[in-house]
Amino acid sequence: MVAIKIERLTKKFGDFTALSDVSLDVQPEEFVTLLGPSGCGKTTLLKLISGFLEPSEGRIQMGGTDVTHIPPEKRDTALCFQSYALFPHLTVRENLEFGPRQKKVPVSERKARIDDVSEKLDLTAQLEKLPNQLSGGQQQRVSLGRALAMRPSVILFDEPLSNLDAKLRDQVRIEIRRIQKEYGLTAIYVTHDQAEALAMSDRIVVLNDGRVEQVDSPELLYHAPKTKFVADFIGDANIFPGTIVGQKGDNIFQVETTIGTIEVETPTAPASKNVNLCWRPESAVIGNIGITAKVVHRAFQGHFTDLMVETNGTIFRVQAKRVEAQEGDDIQLSVSPNEVILLDQNA
Amino acid sequence: MKLRRGLLIIGLLTPGLGLILALIGTVVYIAVSQSFGYYSLNGTSEFSTEFWSKMAGRKAFKRSIQYSIYIGVFSAIFSVALAYPLAIWLRKPFAGSNFIGAVLKAPLLVHGLVAAFLFINVISYHGILNQFMQWLGIWSEPRRLQNDPNAYGVLILQTWKNMPFALLLLTGAVQSISDDVLDAARDLGAGTWDRFRRIIAPLTVSGMQAAMVIIFIGAVADFSFQVIAGPTNKQSLSQLMVSFKGRGDWHSAAVVGVSLMMIALVGSAILAVVARMVMRGRIK
Repeated sequence: MVAIKIERLTKKFGDFTALSDVSLDVQPEEFVTLLGPSGCGKTTLLKLISGFLEPSEGRIQMGGTDVTHIPPEKRDTALCFQSYALFPHLTVRENLEFGPRQKKVPVSERKARIDDVSEKLDLTAQLEKLPNQLSGGQQQRVSLGRALAMRPSVILFDEPLSNLDAKLRDQVRIEIRRIQKEYGLTAIYVTHDQAEALAMSDRIVVLNDGRVEQVDSPELLYHAPKTKFVADFIGDANIFPGTIVGQKGDNIFQVETTIGTIEVETPTAPASKNVNLCWRPESAVIGNIGITAKVVHRAFQGHFTDLMVETNGTIFRVQAKRVEAQEGDDIQLSVSPNEVILLDQNA
Repeated sequence: MKLRRGLLIIGLLTPGLGLILALIGTVVYIAVSQSFGYYSLNGTSEFSTEFWSKMAGRKAFKRSIQYSIYIGVFSAIFSVALAYPLAIWLRKPFAGSNFIGAVLKAPLLVHGLVAAFLFINVISYHGILNQFMQWLGIWSEPRRLQNDPNAYGVLILQTWKNMPFALLLLTGAVQSISDDVLDAARDLGAGTWDRFRRIIAPLTVSGMQAAMVIIFIGAVADFSFQVIAGPTNKQSLSQLMVSFKGRGDWHSAAVVGVSLMMIALVGSAILAVVARMVMRGRIK
């Protein structure tokens, strides 16, 4: 049985449609990330799942039960807020104990849960402190602990790392994933940070303008984006419109683009001659064959060098480990046909 | 440098704080001195505890103390109890919320005496309320509601007059609680009452204390509502003080006045402490 079943969910605020016809199945113990730019509807979807909003259309089931109109306090979910939302007048222990007390969990069980959570999140020494006496990372852990102490079936995260510095973010990211696996929780995680989504998720739901663009594993989203939006939003991508001008064998098509002819390998023949194709900057191989381009900008990034290059007035990006070329130099580059992705024309 | 800084601070504070201290100090000093026989306007001025001991033996004085405390405490409680749900309701702006807020605060603009007279007009023997109840057929004949022995009229007037003030203080306090904190409580299973008891009340306890204390002090010293709408068989401390003064007994009036100040001070402290204890909502 699926943990969460979302069926044709739509949410309107007056004339504005924040979410349109969204359907999604989340499996038990799966970590699913809702990813998209600001205003794409990801937080609205999370609020619908948590019960803070009621949908205009559609329904939500959890563990087979329809919870569409059940208020948040009666749902088997726990939400970790972006602002942590700790109760400032209560100590860490009291914050952790709040949920179980509300659910009338017996004292001994409550104590066991607090001990377990505080030990796993390294909060034992902080239990008698007030939230304002804790660092950002510790507050984040209390927020997570407070949700975990509820032993929910589904844990929801609303951009929980956005207030942390980069180093701490990496640390807490790993911690969240470890805890989620350890407790066997189904998790829905909202972020606009694609790196965070790629690193943490079993599956990612990419949202744009209130609609689902693509739902896939991080690897598939990166290597096989279906739409221009996904290709552009997840990682860096060079996207070109083009026209099919020839075919090599069964699966390789030659596409004429503004930068030259690019070969693309696809198992299914394109429906139209006009196509959009994309390739990742790191897929380009700098050598002695292929398209000639001039380096217009060069930025050394440590483990790779980022080049902005120009061909026929079109600027695109190339990334390579070792690059001798400097700004103003000409380079030649090629992309293997199986690294070029044909994007969905209808999307 | 420190001395100059200190003098500068004192100099800056003197026009405001100095005046307040001088005025309050003078009044308190005169009242306390008079209650012990000094500053006699019609006799010899000398130290005496006679006025205190005589007053302590008076039943009317004890009844006045009880009555004034009753009015003060219940006015404060009712005003705050009524203001809380309104403050929570008005926490988030909605269409018409500014208008509703303004209407609710309107009693602040109406003088107490005017309000009392209007209230009497409403509840008098031939007043609107009696007429309305008879028109509905609930009462067959007019009832005497004015100057009721339990001072419900005074409590209604006090609550009507003071609730907007409590609302002003509590609205700010309630609005300062973030949506996320309230949503978190809800998400963790807290219903409406638990959210109020465990989150809103403890986080707004300072505003609530301020409202309670200020309303209590005003209501415990009530004169105008009591004179117009209060029970005829009971006197508030202010009323008793004025009656002594009217008889030219300034020393007894001073005793009542000092008692009133002490009750206001001690009562406020007790109310503030009790409010904090009841409302802090700690999980222990």
